[in-house]
Amino acid sequence: MNMYLHELKVYRKSTIIWTCSIIALIVLMMSLFTSFSKDAELVQEMMHNFPEAMQKALGLSTLDMTSLLGYYGYLFTFILICGAIQAMNLGVGILSAEVREKTADFLLVKPVTRKKIITSKLLAALTCVVITNVLYLVAVIIRISAFKSYEYSMKLLIMISLSLFFIQLIFFSLGFIISVVVRKIKSVLPVSLGIVFGMYILNALGSAIGDEKIRYISPFRYFDVTYILENEAYEVPFMIISIVFVIIAIVASYILYSKKDINAF
Amino acid sequence: MSIIEINNLTKYYGKARGIIDVSFNVEEGEIFGFIGPNGAGKSTTIRTLLSLIYPTSGNAKIFGKDCIEYGPEIRQDIGYLPSEVFYYDNMKVIDLLKYSASFYKKDSSKRINELAEIMDLDLTKKIDDLSFGNKKKVGIVQGLLHEPKLIILDEPTSGLDPLMQQKFFDLILEENKKGATVLFSSHILGEVQKLCNRVAIIKEGRIIKVEDIKTLQESNYKKFKVEATTGLDKGYFDIAGVNNLETKNNIISFIFSGDINLIVEKLSEIKIANLWVEEPSLEEIFMHYYKKED
Repeated sequence: MNMYLHELKVYRKSTIIWTCSIIALIVLMMSLFTSFSKDAELVQEMMHNFPEAMQKALGLSTLDMTSLLGYYGYLFTFILICGAIQAMNLGVGILSAEVREKTADFLLVKPVTRKKIITSKLLAALTCVVITNVLYLVAVIIRISAFKSYEYSMKLLIMISLSLFFIQLIFFSLGFIISVVVRKIKSVLPVSLGIVFGMYILNALGSAIGDEKIRYISPFRYFDVTYILENEAYEVPFMIISIVFVIIAIVASYILYSKKDINAF
Repeated sequence: MSIIEINNLTKYYGKARGIIDVSFNVEEGEIFGFIGPNGAGKSTTIRTLLSLIYPTSGNAKIFGKDCIEYGPEIRQDIGYLPSEVFYYDNMKVIDLLKYSASFYKKDSSKRINELAEIMDLDLTKKIDDLSFGNKKKVGIVQGLLHEPKLIILDEPTSGLDPLMQQKFFDLILEENKKGATVLFSSHILGEVQKLCNRVAIIKEGRIIKVEDIKTLQESNYKKFKVEATTGLDKGYFDIAGVNNLETKNNIISFIFSGDINLIVEKLSEIKIANLWVEEPSLEEIFMHYYKKED
């Protein structure tokens, strides 16, 4: 419990900043919807003049941008990128911080098992992610319900928004296992930015060339908005992959970290 | 009872040598010195005892229990002071110490204040703002606040001024009197001589010798360098107790252990331009050990 509270304190500030930024981003972008929808046909026509590959890469081809959720679903990609970076930062940073900031000699000679250290840190990170998602969801519902003259399904809105949580879990686990496997991570941000943008570009490429296999590598379209809007469901195979990946990454982290040599600096 | 029992402990970092076949025991209530030059394997041994790293082969027991298997339980009664101390920079000293104390079953708040007073440490400051010496003091308080039965010190005195060093030694001696066993690693022989009952000497990953400190004290090593005014035969100083005899540009150097008056007498009979008498470095004493073993 003491470690959990300590970690929460350490990550309090960054969680607040990330959450506020993500909320500000979506609220601002959503407020452009009214003016956007007025000229929607024009805009959509213009977009359809883009080369087809580019439309696909940007995720424009399949979403109806004149509907509230279609527009939201398009913007949601940017929220996912931000959320992925936040989660990746947490994952890469929370355990490796002890080595990077040379505090491992303090924490690991305390009468606690390494498993307990991992559990505390995982729970603290999970708390941060949950807080971010709850506040985000509340903010989005309030913002979207302000568009009184448009119809939308609350269930679909929540389903789309909730996928932020799953994406964050995936990127957190990925960051966590990386931090355990790599001997020493000197700086967190380049690692997480690199991987998140790498994954995003990979996904955009995959969409552009229409390669379905790439969808399995990059998590960004595990929870495809178009699919959710059409089927009112998540895609089962990707749901399973997500769950299996998170479990394997976390279990492997426990095993590997318990055997890891913590070298002097 | 042996508090620490190390049996054939070996650690390789990949192919790089850490320690090879290290064995020694530390008995209850003693202050045990662990001495060797930098890179000899002192920290590797200590980090294995604390299960920060895992041995390649061999094992170690603390309080009669395997130090890996029962690590968390054993560490309840270990206090550790690393050579370089780093703490969460954003915290205040008192918050860090309270965080540290929260890992132990005892209530340590009284002891924290006592120790802070002895070490003259300001508890309200932020760790970030502390000097190196003051961070070290935080380390000392942090290592002792739960009144551990075994205190492990890894080159603890670097960065402490002489006055603080003395206070620190007094503190360790007091803890020792109260029953704590101490493992004290250092590369400074004088320090170890002052404090310890027995000493293990490690070089290049292997234990060369485990010796009573009295034996070391009797062999009181001094390093002499004599610059003669006229050409002097180096054989002049070749008497019993002299080792590592060397001549370079009219300067004769050697290490001497024994009755110092013998050398003074010798010196009084010749004209000298300059004279240095120094504490020999460990390396030089080690060389002496090797020679004896040959």
